[in-house]
Amino acid sequence: MTTTWPYLDVHQSRTHEPTPYEYKLAATLEEVFTKEGHELADVVRGLNARQVHAPDGAPWTEESFRAEMNRLGA
Amino acid sequence: MTLPVHDTADHIYATGLRNQWHPVVPSSFVTPGAMRKVTALGEQWLLFRRSDGTLSMLADRCPHRGAPLSLGKHLGDRVACWYHGVEVETDGTVSSVPGLPGCNLEGKKLVTSLPVREVGGAVLAYFGDERHPEPAELTLPEPLTDPEVDAILCYAEWNGPWRFAVENLLDPMHGAFLHHESHTMYNGDTTAKFRIRETDRGYFFEKTDQRGVNFDWVELCRTGVDWVDLTIPYPPSAGPGGPFGIVGMVCPVDEDRTGVFFWRYRRVRGWQRDTWRFLYKTLIEERHWQVLEQDRVMLEAMPADADQRENLYQHDLGVVRLRRMYRAEAVAQASPA
Repeated sequence: MTTTWPYLDVHQSRTHEPTPYEYKLAATLEEVFTKEGHELADVVRGLNARQVHAPDGAPWTEESFRAEMNRLGA
Repeated sequence: MTLPVHDTADHIYATGLRNQWHPVVPSSFVTPGAMRKVTALGEQWLLFRRSDGTLSMLADRCPHRGAPLSLGKHLGDRVACWYHGVEVETDGTVSSVPGLPGCNLEGKKLVTSLPVREVGGAVLAYFGDERHPEPAELTLPEPLTDPEVDAILCYAEWNGPWRFAVENLLDPMHGAFLHHESHTMYNGDTTAKFRIRETDRGYFFEKTDQRGVNFDWVELCRTGVDWVDLTIPYPPSAGPGGPFGIVGMVCPVDEDRTGVFFWRYRRVRGWQRDTWRFLYKTLIEERHWQVLEQDRVMLEAMPADADQRENLYQHDLGVVRLRRMYRAEAVAQASPA
């Protein structure tokens, strides 16, 4: 923990630098929210349509998306 | 004790009002078993955390010769001054004078110890003066206690007077100009009329003809700690949950320095909460930071006498009101009882 003044840290909520997968998922989510809608079904459909899949390569389901967001956003 | 009551109104106005709670630093700045030196309201303090997490805040001054306790040694439940080994407990009591056992300092409460609370990841402390040592009643901002709301703290240190940072928050119109290129405040009219609306805990300063488009309103709340509440719309890319809000607090560090605390909050739960937090950490936090940097650059560039040579207009009613209130309180706190 720094003790020098001033404390100016861009990132205070992260525990690690996001991985390329996390960056891609986040950017795609923004696009999906903008173009497809805000419902969970819109999000799952939008991600799968763009072939931005879960880390295991499987298409998203509502359950797997919830679980992954819980892991990444907690 | 406490802060002295012989301070002038100018000194109090410059270094922060007494007899209320102020934020100090993020909780994470003092880890279990650690100590941290901090400056607040123009004074030096020591944050001391036991290994079980219990936090205390002492004046950073050994009662013996005035050496900084922050240079001393953490002894688990007390601190030993480096200079002569005098040991001070977390309530400010001298527990031991190793060089002269039985010395009459022992057992006396000679060091100021401030009441502390930890709220939303920040340390709040009560800075009473000698006439008001008992902590003022503290009502926490609802967005930080409502389980339906998720809040993430951003803390930054700015080189400028604390009141400039508060005035900036009571000046919503700057959003349409200073932050025009931002991801959240690019919309809305660049002209507006404002009004003040009184509440039982402070006042709203708000546009009369636009809401939910830019930074269109702010509420100043005085609930034992001074804070502001405001909301700013998110673009559709931020997903469900609607606008984000800000609870803002300011730490008067000293005459020229300020700690700013911004909790970005959103009314989200479940997957919507998790998704917002994921986007926040990955992409949004950095954009928010760029907006905050615009404020910092502007406020740090303001001349020290900026508030002495102004020509104000209707949009500055919220600031004028704030200054009158704070100035009157500083005068009252400096006056003999």
